[in-house]
Amino acid sequence: MTKWLRENLWRHITGWIMCAFAVFPLYLVFLSAFNESGSLQVTSFLPREISFANFDVLFNDERIPYLTWMKNSLMISGFVAVVSVVIGAASAFAFSRLRFKGKKFGIQLLLLIQMFPAILAISAVYVIMERVYKFAPSLGIGTQAGLVLIYLGGAMGVNIWLLKGFVDSIPAELDEAAKIDGASAMQTYWQIFVPLAAPVLAVVSLLSFIGTFNEFILARLFLIEVESRTVAVGLQQFIGGQYSENWGPFAAGSIIASIPIVIIFLSLQKYIISGLTAGSVKG
Amino acid sequence: MIIRGKVATTIKVALVALISAVLLTLTQSAFAKKEYVIAAFLAATIFAINFTYFSKRSVPLKFFLPGILLLAAFVITPILYTVVMSTYNYKTGNYISKEEAIDRIKALALEPDENNSAFDIVVGEFQTSDALLVSDIVNDSYFISTPERRIELNKNQVELDENLVAQASNGFTKLDAGEISASQAAIKRYLYNNEYFITVENLNVGAVFRQSLEYLPQQDIFRSLISDAIYRDNSNGNYVNPEDKSDFLEPGWRDPAWFTNYVRLINDERVRDPLISVFIWTVVFATVTVITQFAFGLLLALALNKPIRGRRIYRSILILPYAMPSVMSILIWGGMFNTEFGAVNEILGSNIAWFQDPTFARVAVILVNLWLGFPYFYLVSSGSLQAIPSELLEAAAIDGANPRQVFSKVTLPLLLQILSPLLIASFAFNFNNFNLIYLLTGGGPREQLDGEIAGATDILISYTYQIAFGSNLQDLGLASAISVLIFFLVASISLYGVRKSKVLESFS
Repeated sequence: MTKWLRENLWRHITGWIMCAFAVFPLYLVFLSAFNESGSLQVTSFLPREISFANFDVLFNDERIPYLTWMKNSLMISGFVAVVSVVIGAASAFAFSRLRFKGKKFGIQLLLLIQMFPAILAISAVYVIMERVYKFAPSLGIGTQAGLVLIYLGGAMGVNIWLLKGFVDSIPAELDEAAKIDGASAMQTYWQIFVPLAAPVLAVVSLLSFIGTFNEFILARLFLIEVESRTVAVGLQQFIGGQYSENWGPFAAGSIIASIPIVIIFLSLQKYIISGLTAGSVKG
Repeated sequence: MIIRGKVATTIKVALVALISAVLLTLTQSAFAKKEYVIAAFLAATIFAINFTYFSKRSVPLKFFLPGILLLAAFVITPILYTVVMSTYNYKTGNYISKEEAIDRIKALALEPDENNSAFDIVVGEFQTSDALLVSDIVNDSYFISTPERRIELNKNQVELDENLVAQASNGFTKLDAGEISASQAAIKRYLYNNEYFITVENLNVGAVFRQSLEYLPQQDIFRSLISDAIYRDNSNGNYVNPEDKSDFLEPGWRDPAWFTNYVRLINDERVRDPLISVFIWTVVFATVTVITQFAFGLLLALALNKPIRGRRIYRSILILPYAMPSVMSILIWGGMFNTEFGAVNEILGSNIAWFQDPTFARVAVILVNLWLGFPYFYLVSSGSLQAIPSELLEAAAIDGANPRQVFSKVTLPLLLQILSPLLIASFAFNFNNFNLIYLLTGGGPREQLDGEIAGATDILISYTYQIAFGSNLQDLGLASAISVLIFFLVASISLYGVRKSKVLESFS
């Protein structure tokens, strides 16, 4: 018993303390979400009653188009996730397998670009899209379409880089054999690469989904109309400045918005932690 | 199940044709609005797409063209444009091009007549020209005014309403509000007399003005028609009266300033001093963040490196902060640090105004970032601990090292070596951790009364954002210059990290 204490007690104490630290804010959110008073003032750390008043506000209050925000977020992130991987996979295949002039330069440029924090060019993006708005109001600043285009561009660097790493790990003998059998590059891509890479493509697109869902600042700058906002921007604007009043509905809203992300994340755990994302940190 | 042959060709042709048609329409409207660079880019895109997919020459291009085009349009162009913007005097008041500015100055240079005359008007058409039916009730005079001429009317030629305002006249067609807003009728100038003209103030009122400035294109100057003063291009985006430097014309335009913005970073103390303090805090913030996240992650990894009871439960709970969407978590923490209602003060039994005091705000930022990041380092440290060969640790123990020595002399150095690329990447990420700062403290606290832009918790990137979008004076030129500076800093950190992880080896 003393030996067990000496060896394991500190492990459990560390575990307990850090778990408490990790869970505390999340527990508070649940407490506030199901608490009728709708304030963040915690009168008791144990729930006294379970009320769905905050969820009611979220879904039925006309000032808070929460479902529209949620729909916007899911649509934008879903579209970016799928399209960016479809386009990125083809580029990754070319950079990994095909021979062409300037390939080395292209790869180095890609490496540099995917390190560039997109937020640094935010004023330029803003000015450019402001000009696009002048001649194409449906694509410029203030539109979801314009935002999606920027997300797609931004996702390219990282996605191509991640996918290229994966393609590199597929044995070259496979497509050399296909080549000897007379397959064109297109055939090799569709019949060898895509079936082999399908699980990885799914993982990368889910990662894109999480990243886009989490993106805040471009969405904040772009989406001015209340109805067109994403859930992150909507909730942030909603509590802006007056935490105490709207805290309850905000807590309820953030729980619902977080559920899909937490589920995706937990199911992808091993990919996110493994070498696939080595060198990148979740935003 | 592959689509091939004629079907595939048909789909390809249809798709390329569709995209080309959309892009062509965009090119034309961009050209019509004088956005020549964008128009040229779009035209080049159309050419590239058609060339690539209809020729047999370049197979690799077929694969990477869509990705490259997106990168070029929305990543590379903004990066290059940031560099361009950083060489311009580009800020509120100097935002438009010079031609636009000249047009605006001309349009705004209006001087009312000495009585500030204003008349009741009806906007309409007369003999196929836009026209106003004007009622000068004070002088009991009525006339129709077009941009070129003025036709006097007798009282019996007009139909008056009860306020003696002319509503109709023979040959004059009234336009309704919709027709007016669809036409240019409301922004034209209508003849009053040789010197003065009438402008439409609203649909019922016109006011008498004369032009107070004229533009002389040959000399590129504005001349005041009233005082004869001259306004010259000051090479900094404004027309200024050389005799009185404070007398300049609004608006200005974005003017090439070459390296002025960069020089300001060094010479202008109102820019330099905040920049230095923000830079120091950025480095401190990123360093302390990485150290605390790593230390707590490693401590946990060591604690749970043995199959103790409940290890899986610990692990699933500990990963939760990392799995939550960070935007939500940061906002939640923001609420928890609220002075009056926040849970943090409640637990500590204190009454700290966390976000009003620089030190407390900085502590809060680091604490929240610790919460956000320690699970990541717990996970990667656990993985790396298992990658250290147990023979090494056993050998050290046999040589008589106690557990503490084994850790500090063998485990930690090895771990640092394995994890150094991740530590560097994490440093680079936190160097630009905009969301955390912006959503938690907004960069504050800052002395807004002093017109101070940099707050106590502002890091370089949030400070840049403040300069570009945060205050009333949006200085995009200066913000871009700082962005370029940050880029070089981050690129060198990242390249150092890449060299460490030897990624470059694979294609050298």
